[in-house]
Amino acid sequence: MSDDVADVLIIGAGASGAAVAWSLAETRMRIVCLEQGDWVNPSAYPTNSANWETQAFGPWNIDPNVRGLETDYPINNDDSECAVVNFNGVGGSTVLYGAHFPRLHPSDFKVKSLDGVADDWPIDYATLEPYFAENDRMMGVSGIAGDPMYPPKDPPLPPIAMGLVGETLARGYNKLGWHWWPSDSAIISEPYEDRDRCLYLGPCMSGCSQGGKSSTDITYWPKAVQRGVELRTRCRVREVTLDERGLADGVVYYDENGNECRQRAEIVIMACNGVGTPRILLNSKSSRFPDGLANRSGLVGKNLMFHVFGYVQGVFAERLDSHKGPVACCILSKQFYETDAARGFVRGYNMQIVRGSGPLGTAMAGFASGAVPWGKGHHEAFAKQFDHTAAIGIVGEDLPEEHNTVTLDPELVDSDGIPAPKITYKYSENSLKLMQHGLERGEEVMRAAGAADVMSAGPVRPSGWHLMGTARMGDDPATSVVNRWGRSHDVKNLFVVDGSIFVTSGGVNCASTIQACALYIADSIKKNLTNLFD
Amino acid sequence: MSNEPVLNDSQRALLPALLDTIVPASAEREMPSAAEVDFDAYLATQGQGAVPMLQAVLESLGPGFADLSADERHARLSELQSQQIALFSSLLACVYDCYYQDPSVRVKIGMVRGPVFPQGNEVAQGDLSLLDPVIENADAHRYRAPR
Repeated sequence: MSDDVADVLIIGAGASGAAVAWSLAETRMRIVCLEQGDWVNPSAYPTNSANWETQAFGPWNIDPNVRGLETDYPINNDDSECAVVNFNGVGGSTVLYGAHFPRLHPSDFKVKSLDGVADDWPIDYATLEPYFAENDRMMGVSGIAGDPMYPPKDPPLPPIAMGLVGETLARGYNKLGWHWWPSDSAIISEPYEDRDRCLYLGPCMSGCSQGGKSSTDITYWPKAVQRGVELRTRCRVREVTLDERGLADGVVYYDENGNECRQRAEIVIMACNGVGTPRILLNSKSSRFPDGLANRSGLVGKNLMFHVFGYVQGVFAERLDSHKGPVACCILSKQFYETDAARGFVRGYNMQIVRGSGPLGTAMAGFASGAVPWGKGHHEAFAKQFDHTAAIGIVGEDLPEEHNTVTLDPELVDSDGIPAPKITYKYSENSLKLMQHGLERGEEVMRAAGAADVMSAGPVRPSGWHLMGTARMGDDPATSVVNRWGRSHDVKNLFVVDGSIFVTSGGVNCASTIQACALYIADSIKKNLTNLFD
Repeated sequence: MSNEPVLNDSQRALLPALLDTIVPASAEREMPSAAEVDFDAYLATQGQGAVPMLQAVLESLGPGFADLSADERHARLSELQSQQIALFSSLLACVYDCYYQDPSVRVKIGMVRGPVFPQGNEVAQGDLSLLDPVIENADAHRYRAPR
C-alpha cells in the first residue's frame, strides 16, 4: 500500500481534467492526474499519410468499440438509440473533436423558468462568463465579436476562413433573412503563443498533425505540467475509496501492466466525462454507499443527455473546395435556437455548417446513396460530388430524462476486468420533433443557397460526443449529485468537473462550457480552501 | 519467409480486369483506370489485410472473367454486389482507397499530391461583408435573456 498522499487527485486528462489541473496548480498543492490513455504523438496522426481516410475509419475511428485500443474501454450501446464516441488519452476527446466551440447561451441555464421544462442550473451564464473568456484565451479560440445571439464576447483570434462553403451558405441564410455567424472555433487562425496556425488540412476529427487544433494535450497540459502537476498515463481507475469518516481517501487503479495500485489523496476530482465518471462512481460501492459512491440521490448515471444530431447535405453545381479547411468549423446559425411555442416543441437547435469529405468518403458515401456508381460513369458522378458539397449539422437540445442512463454492464468488462458502461437511451418526442424541424429548415437553407440536390438524415446514431447530465448539479441533495460548485453532496472532498454535472444540455457542442465549469469549480475550491469540507 | 497471404498467379492475372471494371479510365477527364495505378505496392503495404477478401472475390469471379467484354464484366460484378454486398463493399473500399491515394489521381481531382500535412491547403477567408444584413437586423436575432 502506498503512503504517497496527493493533495489533489484528478481522474482523467481530457477537456475538464486539463483545465482544473492547470487552474489548481497555482496553489502549489501536490496534484496528481491519472489518465488511462497515452500521450498521442502528433506524427502518428492520419494526416501524415495519404491514407488518412482509411485510418479514420479504422484505428483512429471515433467509436471506441471500432477503434478497440488497449487504452479504450468497451461500451455497450445495444439499448441506446445513440452510440457513444470518444477518445481516451491525454487530451481526451478533444484529440478527435471537431473543435466547433460555441458556449451555452444565457437561456440554457434557466429552461425551467423560461419554458417550464427540466430544471434551472444553480449557476448562470454571468457566473461562467469570466471562465469562458479565460478558457478561450487558454485554448486559443478563433472567432469574431458582435454576434447578437450572445452577450458581448471577444475571441482572442480572428475567425477561421469560411471559404466557399461558408460564403455559399451565408448567402442562403441572407436570402431567408436568418441569423448566421462565423463559428467560434478552438483552432488557431494565426500563430498563438508557441503554436503555429491552422493549415486547413481538413480532417480535424482524426487528430491535428499541425497542432493548430486546440486539444488540451497541447494547450492546458504543457502549462499544467510546467506548474508542477504530475500526469501519470496508462493508469485506469477502478474505484474511489473512502476512509472511516466517509471522505474519499484515494483510488485503486491498474497500471500499464495490469498491476493493482493505490493512490491516496486529500481531494478527489472526477473528470472522466458523462459516461466514465458515473461508471467509476457506480463501481465504487461500500457499506456507506451500496448503490455507488455519492449516490444517495439515486441520480448517478441517470438523466444522460447527448444532443440529438442530424444533417442536411447539399450538392452544388459550382466547386466549393469543400475538402479544404476544418471540417466542423465554418459558420453557424442560431435562427431556431430559442423556444417558439408555435413550432410544437420546446428549446431549439444550432445549425453547424460542415465542410465536405475526402475522396474515399465521397466515393463510398456515393456508392451507398447511389449518387456515385462504380464502373462506367464513376468519374462523372464523382466529379459532381467531390468538392461540390456542403452540409448543415443540426445539433438539438436534449432534455434530461431519468430513464436515459449509464449503468454497469453485468457481463462486459474492460481489459482490466472493470465493468463496462451500459447505455440505455431513447430520444424523446420533443427531440424528434425538433430534429424534423431542423432537417426541414436545413433543406430550405440549402435550396436558398442554390443546391442542386438536397438530402437529409437524422437522428444519426454514432453521434454521442456530448456526454452530459449523469451527476447533475443542484442545490437540493435529493434531486442532484453535486452542489453549485461541483462538490458531492454526500462526500465533501469529492468533486465532479466534467459534463456529468450539466443540468440541461443546451443546443450546442459542450466542450467550451465543460471547461468553463471546470475553471469555475477550480476557482471555487481555491476560494474555499480553508473551509472546503464544512 | 513471410506467412502473409498473397495472390497466386491466376488471381494476379485477373486483377487488372477487376480493377478496370470498378474504375475504368476516362479519356474525357484524363483519369487513369484503377488498373493503371500501383495496386501491387498498395497490396504489399497498406492493403495487406485486404488480400483474403480479394482472393475470395477473384475466386468467385472465375478464370474466364478477364476474357469477358467490359459490359459482361460489369454484369458479373453487379451479380456479386447483389449476392454479397458486404464483400463487395469491402472490395470497393479497398480499390477506391488505393486509387484515390495515387498522386496523379489526387492532383487531377484538386488535392495535394501526398499526405495533406505538412503542405496544407489554401482557403479563402470569405466575404465578411455578408454579415452586414445580420448586423443590421441584430434586434431580430437578439439572444433571449433569462428573467
